Formats: sequence, structure tokens, C-alpha cells
Amino acid sequence: MVGDSLAPVLSQQLLLSVAEQLKIPLLQIARQAEHGRITNTADLERIQSTADAALRLIDNYALGVRLNLEQDLLQLEPVSVSSVLYDSGQELTALARNYGVDLELHIGGRYSTVMANRHGLQSALVSLGASLIEALPALEVPQLKLQLAAHRCRYGIVAGLYSETEQLTAEALRNGRKLVGASRQPLGAVSHTAGAGVFVADAILKAMNLELKVSRHNRLYGLGTVLQTNHQLQLI
Amino acid sequence: MHIILLEPDRMLADIYRQTLLADGHTVTMCASAQSAIFAADEQCPDAVIVELQLIGHSGIEFLYEFRSYNDWRAVPVIIHSQVPPAEFNGSSKLLRQELGVKDYLYKPRTSLASLLRSVTLLNTATL
Repeated sequence: MVGDSLAPVLSQQLLLSVAEQLKIPLLQIARQAEHGRITNTADLERIQSTADAALRLIDNYALGVRLNLEQDLLQLEPVSVSSVLYDSGQELTALARNYGVDLELHIGGRYSTVMANRHGLQSALVSLGASLIEALPALEVPQLKLQLAAHRCRYGIVAGLYSETEQLTAEALRNGRKLVGASRQPLGAVSHTAGAGVFVADAILKAMNLELKVSRHNRLYGLGTVLQTNHQLQLI
Repeated sequence: MHIILLEPDRMLADIYRQTLLADGHTVTMCASAQSAIFAADEQCPDAVIVELQLIGHSGIEFLYEFRSYNDWRAVPVIIHSQVPPAEFNGSSKLLRQELGVKDYLYKPRTSLASLLRSVTLLNTATL
């Protein structure tokens, strides 16, 4: 059963948000195909990566719903944060290239493993990253650098995505959660879209008892989640 | 025609720009309302194509500011947006009369050919 606190997030509002969000890659594919047909210069690689981005969004949404409905699917395992960040970066590379965003990986140090569902954690980071990649170039001062990064904090290891300007305040994120499905731009300060990727990441993390939070990394601003280190494995 | 294209999505902006260029227009791409105002100030446009969903300020706010300058009162505007026109049913008069919107194109239902047709109609009307 879906817990009370998760029900609103996984309800029709989130589905509506995902549907609105999906219009963008589908529109890009339709217009790229039309442009290619007219000019006889179809950029098939771009069309493919756009279609992949759309598939990822819907797949991550489905994962969020499944993880919340069937907790049995949520098998926790020792996970290397560095390797999850690396793989998330690989998944986001083509989309970042399409948007002219320079995606960097910054892992400051060696970390112990964390207990998490690897697939869930990676899907959440990819979902969040895709949303930021689409939004950052449209800011008043366009941000063309995004860092996938991890650092230690008092409570564990923070993994997240960061850029040079403040993306969201904690209050804007809180308000955005309340506006999913009700507003066309629940995260209007940072995204011209429905921001579904952020809320899908939120839903996946919640299913793993994690939380998406506003976070800082060095001098950068972003969103991330705090992961608990696996102390048992540290003893081995 | 020199067109300011206010489109926050970089990939869509690229496609629309290439299409308009191929049709013989010059295009300045802007992702935010503020950059579009600066662009208009530098090179007075013959037409503006606006998405309403922007970051920070909406396309409607942009249009109010744009129309507040005498030099740009007569510049024709096309709304080309993810927001369905049905959401403006009660305010279509305001869009046309106060903000000078010549055409409202709903993006998911507008092909590149339709966009060009709408721009061409502006061109004929201003000749």
C-alpha cells in the first residue's frame, strides 16, 4: 500500500506532471523529424537521444510508482556512491550534449559504501539531472555547467547535482511539491517545464526512505540526498 | 524579417531557428524575458515569437513590458506556446488588442510549416 505521505506525490498530479513533461521530448522528436524531412538532413543521433530521454522519464516514473506500491522490490544493497554517480553521468551525457551543458563528475575522496537500492538511486539522480539539464540553459544567466558530485557531511554522504547559481531554495522546493499538477511550472524559479524529473526523483527517494534536499557542494548550489554509510561493511 | 525568438528550450529553439533561417529570416534566440528585451533594444525586431512558459517571468509579463515601449508597440507578436489557447478563452481580446498578439499557436499541434505560414502572414500584413 502507498503510505499516506506518499499518496499525493504518486497520485494523478504527478502523472499529469509527467505527461506535460513528456510533451517536450515528443515535440522535439516530431519537429526534428519534420525538419529532417524538409531539408533531407535528419540528425538521427539527436532524435535517438531525445527519444531515450523521454523513455527514461516514463521508466523512472514507473519505477517510482512500483517501488512505492511494492516495497518487496526495494532490496537494499551496499552501493558505491562513486560508481552510481559515474553511471548516472554516462546516462546523462547525450542529453547534456544536446543542451550544450558541460556535465562534470566530482567525487572528492573515497567513500564507504551506502545502503541503498542501486537502481533506484541511479534513476533518481538521472531523473533530477535530466530536469536540470533542460532548465539551466534557460535561466536569465544561462548555466552551462552541471556537476554530479558527492561529499561527506555530518549525517553521511551527500550525492547530488550542482551548478554555479542557486537553483532552488528549500522553501521553493517545498512549495513546488505542493503545486505538482496544479501549476504548469511548480518550480517556476528554475524551470520552464512541469519539472517532473525533480518530483519523480523525489518519489523514488521517498520510497527508499531518503529525501531530496537543497544542498551546497563547495561553492556550488544544487539538490541532493543524504545517504547513510554502511558501517557493517566498514568493519570487514 | 528580423525575428526575436523567445524560446526557453534550447533544442526546440535550434530547430525553429534553422527553419526560420532557411525561410530567409534572421533570428535572435533568447531564453529569458530579460534577454529578449535587451535583444529588442539592440536590434529592433520586425516580429517576435514568444513562449509563455519561461523561467522567472512569464511570456505575458514580457509582452506587457515589450508593449510599454513606444518603439515596439507596432511590432507583431506570435504566441507559440505549450499553454493551450483554451486557457486564454476569457482573455483573447486582451491578447489581441492590448498585447498585439497576431496569432496563437499551440506548440504540440503546430508543425514547422504552420509556424512559417503564420510568420509569412505577418510579413504580408506588414508590407
